[in-house]
Parts: sequence; structure tokens; C-alpha cells
Amino acid sequence: MQIFPIRAFDPPGDVTRLREQVREIIRQHDHRWTPEERCNPWLKCDARFSRALGDAGLLGLTWPRRYGGQGRSVLERYVVLEELLAHGAPCGCHWIADRQTGPLLLRYGNELLREKYLPGMARGEVFACIGLSEPNAGSDLASVRSQARRTPDGWVLNGQKIWTSNAHECQAMLALVRTDPASERQAGLSQLMIDLDLPGVTIRPIIDMTGEHHFNEVFFDDVLIPFDSLVGTEGEGWKQAMAELAYERSGPERYLSTYMLFVELVDAIGADPPEPVVQLIGRLAAEIWTLRQMSMSTAAKLAAGEDPVIEASIVKDLGNAFEQAMPRLIQAAVDPDLLAGSALERMLAHVLVASPSFSLRGGTPEVLRGIIAKGLGLR
Amino acid sequence: MSESRQLLCEMANGLFSELAEVGFDNAWPRIEEAGFASLLIPEEQGGFGGDWGDAYAVLRIAGRYALSAPLGDAIFAPRLLMEAGIKPPAGLIGLARANGKVGYGRHCGCVILIEDGELRLVEVATSEVVEGYSLAGEPFDHICPGGAPLASAPCAANLIAMGAFALVAQSAGALDAAFQLTLEHVNTRVQFGKALGRFQAVQQAMAEFSVEAAAIDAAGQAMAAALDKGNVLDDGAAFEIAAAKLRANMAIEKCFPIAHRLHGAIGFTIEYALNRYTRRLMAWRGDCGNDAYWAGQLGQHVSKLSGGGFWPEITRRSDAAGSVV
Repeated sequence: MQIFPIRAFDPPGDVTRLREQVREIIRQHDHRWTPEERCNPWLKCDARFSRALGDAGLLGLTWPRRYGGQGRSVLERYVVLEELLAHGAPCGCHWIADRQTGPLLLRYGNELLREKYLPGMARGEVFACIGLSEPNAGSDLASVRSQARRTPDGWVLNGQKIWTSNAHECQAMLALVRTDPASERQAGLSQLMIDLDLPGVTIRPIIDMTGEHHFNEVFFDDVLIPFDSLVGTEGEGWKQAMAELAYERSGPERYLSTYMLFVELVDAIGADPPEPVVQLIGRLAAEIWTLRQMSMSTAAKLAAGEDPVIEASIVKDLGNAFEQAMPRLIQAAVDPDLLAGSALERMLAHVLVASPSFSLRGGTPEVLRGIIAKGLGLR
Repeated sequence: MSESRQLLCEMANGLFSELAEVGFDNAWPRIEEAGFASLLIPEEQGGFGGDWGDAYAVLRIAGRYALSAPLGDAIFAPRLLMEAGIKPPAGLIGLARANGKVGYGRHCGCVILIEDGELRLVEVATSEVVEGYSLAGEPFDHICPGGAPLASAPCAANLIAMGAFALVAQSAGALDAAFQLTLEHVNTRVQFGKALGRFQAVQQAMAEFSVEAAAIDAAGQAMAAALDKGNVLDDGAAFEIAAAKLRANMAIEKCFPIAHRLHGAIGFTIEYALNRYTRRLMAWRGDCGNDAYWAGQLGQHVSKLSGGGFWPEITRRSDAAGSVV
């Protein structure tokens, strides 16, 4: 038995040209980005840059042309993503819409919803956030309590979402809510696409331990939502939301969140670095290369219609562990006085504090290892 | 997987599973007879015409069954000699480490040494052989050449890198075997009234084990695929071999203690199979470049590229024309 058989990553078309196209757009914008903005780049927001990507036809890359997409392959999209992340380009505004909300609307959404949201998302003008977690539904997502009641005029939603990244930058939320008041756990849940400017929606910031504002609480007080905002089938929300999570586990964002630290480390230490730092660079390079192979292979399996649930969990577990360890290892190995005033000094200070969040999003190591153990037949 | 590789793997699986607990003297004649020495010799020269992916697959199976023979040397030596324009002599040909150590050296007819860009083929019969053993109990002998070499030729190959390639493949196989053995153990061993595998702490440890076994195997397959694309540095030490060997060493470091921890005292006996894999893994971790060696090589290479240069380099190498596997 081979635990991780590799599948060839073979995108169609001129990949070198595609990479160069992305790098050129980044070069037009990167003078505006602070060292902190270039770390954890798929959380950091630059709406202007997102629009530039939309103008260049690099968002909604795989979506049909009639919804503003480009009809290109998922592997070409993978190439675009890894280029953006490896160059520390802030993609937080459009990331969720492009990665999961858009694809979910394509898969489950009605025609009205697709036409309403997808073209704007592909232009880099309409951004979406994830409405899953609630105060008492974190890792145990089936405890969701926000409730949408059916009335003659539409759904009336009451409840609260929390830890909603970048809700304050977004126009819409795809939320998992209870539509059957008598239901429990996974049953009776549905997905609603909610415009965040509707009366009764309140977004309040939660400042995280880096001092930045990404998290939010989102409150719903008798929010009237049109019936056609229901995504997919009433009562099938749990299944649809799980499919949504599968889009997000094995992508390049699972190991490249702190890649810019590696770039700055190599540049900061100069041509004749001390041996422990050389050793560290070698180890980090070996891990980056290995994780890239694993992530690309999993993308190729997804593209081929396979369902690599275990592989995706493996990539996320290893990738998160790596991107969290990197700042700690650099702190341990590099003389801080050599870094004074450098971009690396600022990035390191930021990422050492920001890195605990990397294993919160998309499943903690314990949750992922539970999934893997299940795949091994142990649970 | 190509049809020829599939047939090759079926043959290797069949033979190596039979030889799993057979010592060198009885195993080697059957391996020799099977013709692995011609694996990397082109078909037009009467060989199997295999590629690096084939070599990886076969060596992985050798590791899976803890074969008591230096299959990597047996596969690589004829190819090296062919490239150097030297007709391979009969018998097992060993590849010497920089310090003169040769796995199963006492059993070899000849040994290849490469120094300062020159390949020398020397007879073991005319050399001084200082016998020794690896920590896995496999012969690991020091060969000091006595007389003049049988043949010599200029050669740019890097024997440490070739050895590392073989050890990555064997380690992936051995780690897989150790993993399967551990999985079977936690599924069958009952304590506190239930199988060990029903305990969450054990499940988490098994998941950690499988993740590392996945990493070593993914790195190994990607290494072989990169070599088949022609991604070899001028000195013969491909970037991918360095990265894969270092990653393999790191995986062994994590998995060796987990395998033994979950097995308890049962896994510590000489009789139980686990040590045949774990002792080899620990020997291979230190052979043909330990962590410091390959981290140093890689670190120097990357430092010269500059920070912004690493990403274009690894994407260029993987984008190179042709399919990966």
C-alpha cells in the first residue's frame, strides 16, 4: 500500500506565461504593501489589488464565461494562487468568494443567485465571508442555533455568527442556519446567501491578539431575506457546508502563509551566512519543496475527479505545522541585532503572534488527525 | 503507472517477499538472476530501459521487505560504468562512500570509487577489507584499494547523491512496512478491555505516523519524477535528491519513536519484525548524508539564489516540459 501516491500536476496551456502574468501584476502593486500585509496574505485585504486581478481575468478563473469567469482549468487556478501567496500579495478581499462561495453557488445555487453574485465576484468587486461558526458552535459545528423562520414575505433570520473573517470588507455572507426549528444537530440546516447591508444586520469588530481587525461578530435581528436566497436544498445545508470545507483543505494557502519570511530570511543574512542559519534555510527549503509536491498532487487528484479527503487533511496538518514552526525556528536561529530595522524583523514580530490562527481555520490538528485516523480505520 | 513499471513491481514484490528473511548469501543469486543490474541500461544495449521512477519503485519494494542486499548499488553501478564507457565485470559491484565504506563490501567483486571527477573500478580481492556492520547489522565494510584499478575514466556523477536516492526509496518502503505493522498491532492488541487503536491518544499518534510516511513517499516519488525530467545539477546532486533525503531523515526521526512507543516491549525484541525496519531506517538516516550534510548543501544552494530566486527556481524545475509521473 502506498500512503500518498503522487499524481502528475500537468496544467494545460503556457504555465510559464501565466506565472509571469501574475508576477507582473504583483510588481505593479507591491510598493504599496507593508511587511505585515505581505504575511498571511490570504487574510490581508487590498480591494484595489483584488479589482486589478479581476480586471486581468484572474478571479473566477474556472467559472463559466456566462458568469464572468474564464472557463480555465482548476490547475491553472492553482498556479495563480501559489504565485500570489509566494509573493505575499494581499488577497483577503476576494479569497473566500473565489475559493468557496462562488464554486458553491455554481454547484448548488439557483440561476438568480449565480447571476446576482458571480460576475461581481469575478470582477473583484463583490466579496463574501463564511457564516459557519457561532458562539457555541466552533469545532462542533452541528450545534448551530441561528434560525431562519419561514414567513409569507421571506425568511426571517435571528441569531449570531462569530469569528467571521473580513465580514466588514464583504457585501455578502453564505451562512449555515437552522430552517427547521424542531431539528437538532446536522438535520434541518440550510444555507442562505445574505446581503450584509440588509436591515437588522450588525457587524462588530473583534480585535485579535496581533492588534488587527479581521474577526467580527455578525448579529441578525429579524433580518428579512428573500426566499430565493436559499442555496441548494432546504435541510441539506450540512452536506453542502461539508462540501464547502473540502474546497479549502489542501490548497497552497495551507503551507505558504508565511513564505515571505523565508524570502526575507535568505536576503537578510547575506552571502556568507553563519552555519546554523544555512542549515535552517536548507531544512525549510526541503519542507517547502515536499509540501508543494503534496499540495500539487492533491490538486491534481481533485481536478481528476477523485475525492482525496485523507490526502487533503494530511496536507493541511503538515502544512499548518510547517508554517507555524517557521517563525519560531527563525527566531531561535537568527541574531536579532542583525535584523534591526529590516523587513524581516517586522514580519517576524507579526507572524510569531499571528501564527496560532493558522491551525484554527479549516480544522485544528486534533480534528484533522481524527479524520486521518478514521481513514485508517481506527475510528 | 506505466504497464512496464507495473510488471516490474509485481515481479519485485513477488521475489522480495520471498527473500524477506533470507540472508545475503542465499538472496543475492536470486536477485542477480532476476536481472536488476540491467534496469537502467537502455533497451538498445540489451537492458530493461527503465527510468528513475522505475528504480524508485523497485528500491521502495526492497525497503518494504528489508532486503538483505545492496540493491541500489547493483542497479546504479552498471549504469555508471556504461556512461563511463567501461564494461561491467561480473559479480556484485559496490559504490564507495567518500570515507571508503561500502555496504556488503566483502561480498562485492569490485567497487567503484569517484574522487576529483575520476571514477576508479577496483577489485576487492586486491584491496584491504576492514569488516564492520551498520547499526542494522548489515555488512558495512571499509575498502582500501591495494593494486592499480581495473579501469578508470572521467566521471561527473555524485555517489553520495545516488546513494541518497536509493536510501530515500528504501526508507519510504521500510517506513510503510513499519507503519502497517504498527497499525496491525494497535488493531489487535487489547489492553484495558479494548484494542489500543480505540484510544484517542493512539489514534492521534497513528495519524502523525501516517502523515510522515506520506511525506517521505511523496518526496521520494517527486524526486524520481524530477530526475526523469532531467533536473540534475552539474555536480550530479540534484536539488530534489537533497530535499527528499533531508525530508526522509526528518520523517524517520519522528516515526521511529512512535512505532516503538505503540508497540511497547513486544516491538523491542530481536524476534519481532519491527526492528528489521526501524534499525535499517536509523542506519539509513545517517548514511549518504545526514541532516546536517544535506541541509548544508541545500542551504548554500538556496542562499546563492537570493530570497526572491528560490520560488522561480522550484517552479521552473517542476514546470519543465513533460508529465511528472
